[in-house]
Amino acid sequence: MLNPLRSEREAFRFLLYVAVAFGLLVAVVLLARAL
Amino acid sequence: MESASVALGGGPHTDEHHEHHGPPTANQSSRVDPQFLGMLLFIISEVMLFGAFFTAYFFIRVAGDNAWPAEGTELPKIIAGINTAVLISSSFTMHWALEGARNENRRALRVGMLTTFLLGLTFLCVQINEYVHIGFAPSDNAQGSIFYGLTGLHGAHVFVGLTLLAMGTIRAYRGHFSAKDHQGIEIPGIYWHFVDVMWIVVYATVYIL
Repeated sequence: MLNPLRSEREAFRFLLYVAVAFGLLVAVVLLARAL
Repeated sequence: MESASVALGGGPHTDEHHEHHGPPTANQSSRVDPQFLGMLLFIISEVMLFGAFFTAYFFIRVAGDNAWPAEGTELPKIIAGINTAVLISSSFTMHWALEGARNENRRALRVGMLTTFLLGLTFLCVQINEYVHIGFAPSDNAQGSIFYGLTGLHGAHVFVGLTLLAMGTIRAYRGHFSAKDHQGIEIPGIYWHFVDVMWIVVYATVYIL
């Protein structure tokens, strides 16, 4: 299981996941507003 | 004088342990590594701190049904977006520096640490420039208070991170850190990624959504 506090590598991976998740969230919300 | 030295534990009977310096080893009652436990508790408290500010933000915007940003004001989304890219790229250079330390690549370690510091400094300078030109103050309205509160709280964390990065960079250029001993930049690395994660949340909610 990913633990971002265990090592820098896992923290970096967690950052990438958060970036992708928020990118998708923002895209969905903006798309929903545009429709 | 003798009583003082005895009271401080510096009597003649301690000479046989002369090779020991510093405080005694701390008692460890937990199975969790102390450094890991410290970072865990620190970041949990930080998440709660940011959570308090986000609660105020959502209360004003959703429960209070107020306009965001306040009428007559505008947030610089594009500049903040570029600044976001600058900060995220600093996490990549931080990771590169750590990989350099793990692989005994001193050039990657040094250049990575220095680049991370400079990118973080750029982010902070752009943020300050944004405050100067944004056209509203924290005292103007609730939205202004929350905007400055959230971005300022994050900016304070960037400043702390830059201090840690500066120390790590200086140590890297002095020849510190190796594949086995790089905790002095591993912990700041975790902190720096946490700061970037928080900015992604702040940028998405405050500027974009």
